[in-house]
Amino acid sequence: MAEAPPAPVPARPPHLLETSRPGPGAWLPAVLIALALTTARDAVAKGGNIEVSFLSEHAAVSPGRPFYVGVRMEIRDGWHTYWRNPGDSGLAPRIAWALPDGFEAGPIEWPTPERHAEGDLTTYGYRREVVFPIRITPPSRIDADSVTIAATVDWLECKDVCMPGTAVLRLSLPVSANPAAPGPNASKIAAARSRVPAASVGWSFSAEAGPRAIAIAFVPPAGVSPRGAYFFADQPLVTEHAAPQGFERADAGYRVSMSPAANAPGNLERLTGVLVVESGGLVRRRSAVQVDVPVRHGDPAPAPVPPERAGFPTIAYAIAAGIAGVALALIVLRKPRKKSNHT
Amino acid sequence: MVRIALLACMLLLGPVSKAHAAAIVGAPAPAFELRDADGKNVKLSDYKGKFVVLEWVNFQCPFVGKQYGSGNMQALQKKYTGMGVVWLSICSSAPGKQGNVTGEEAEELVKEKDAAPSRFLLDPKGKVGKAYGAKTTPHMFVIDPKGIVVYNGAIDDKPSTRREDVATAKNYVVAALDASMSGRKVALAATQPYGCSVKY
Repeated sequence: MAEAPPAPVPARPPHLLETSRPGPGAWLPAVLIALALTTARDAVAKGGNIEVSFLSEHAAVSPGRPFYVGVRMEIRDGWHTYWRNPGDSGLAPRIAWALPDGFEAGPIEWPTPERHAEGDLTTYGYRREVVFPIRITPPSRIDADSVTIAATVDWLECKDVCMPGTAVLRLSLPVSANPAAPGPNASKIAAARSRVPAASVGWSFSAEAGPRAIAIAFVPPAGVSPRGAYFFADQPLVTEHAAPQGFERADAGYRVSMSPAANAPGNLERLTGVLVVESGGLVRRRSAVQVDVPVRHGDPAPAPVPPERAGFPTIAYAIAAGIAGVALALIVLRKPRKKSNHT
Repeated sequence: MVRIALLACMLLLGPVSKAHAAAIVGAPAPAFELRDADGKNVKLSDYKGKFVVLEWVNFQCPFVGKQYGSGNMQALQKKYTGMGVVWLSICSSAPGKQGNVTGEEAEELVKEKDAAPSRFLLDPKGKVGKAYGAKTTPHMFVIDPKGIVVYNGAIDDKPSTRREDVATAKNYVVAALDASMSGRKVALAATQPYGCSVKY
């Protein structure tokens, strides 16, 4: 899609200055760089519940040397935005770049999402804070002392209601022939990249689709003992997002089963998305891996739905059922005493 | 007493296995009866023999705002009702939730926006919305004269709230109606709807 360059930006609201303040242990050069970045960056957020800013991995741009930028969203409590497949409703954020000549921006590298229950609907997205890392590749020659990377970010922010948001972000960086020094936000970028699901090295997957279920069988690398798993399909009309997923041990590994989308076209060729596996004992660990496997067509059986995987209502019902169970036990226990009183 | 307690346990655990109802493409459209903004009862079966469009609406949702703000939805309503299609706008927002309207408010909004649905139906309990698996506003359905669902999904292929996207979008409802009404198969009969969640 052809994108117009971002419109001129009005003066930056003072509260946005906060976002690139260096950490307490930062030394003087970092502070100076941070100040340079702060004055160079502009952000205008519209929407009101998500504040958007740019982060840079490097303090300067070196010709031909790729680096990461991050689009950071600070999300007001109770609000959320969306993953690349938003689920039953919502909209994935979009970035339209305005880059200097010869620069290229890679795709958004999506951090692992979480599930949000919105009534009977389920959506996939982010709460509190998310940083979307994007790899920028500069050309091998840059004829300038500094460059400005600009982007228009569009997103949807929702609580019980939804509002569209838009922001024009700019990041000006000096050009340096030396290998670029890490910028003050390098650690934030590193943290954000660590939240992007890993390539599935050491994992094996197979997928089967049928009228009752879409099942993914997997064997994790040694040392990962899954207690539960959830698959985030990233394509529309594949799974019924709000339906609980099944999980079981199977053969040499494990199986996750999903309800096929009500109007799935039935010709699914590849299953793509992110598998999140919970493992560990008292301390739970989460691993997330990218999945892209061919689909065999058959009639896989749905795996049983573990109670803790079925979402909040089940927990509420389980607690209520537990209370009813305790009441039942009290009734049973009280009976003999009553009888003995009469005899 | 024990039986009552057990029954209570079962009732509490019962709702866990939720059925996901939906209007399935190629299958008969779920029957329904709803009150319209005028207070009249309207049944889907009243329109047997006609093409019917169902449009889930919440006038406070920005995705609905995109369609009405650009005049697109009104233009489609006028064009297709002029060709004998029955266009039913349905609001499933629960009382107290965003977009919920009384009959009077609905009529005012329809007038204010110069909209032209055949009927504006009120579904405050969300019964019909849930029977159809309506997830978003807008979420569009096309039913053929035999009562079969021929389209279920998004209004178009540009998931955004930007009004200017309407001009360049491929409208799936138009494609479904035009194909179906000229006796052709609908090429893209199911798509993922996009928009605000229906405020059940």
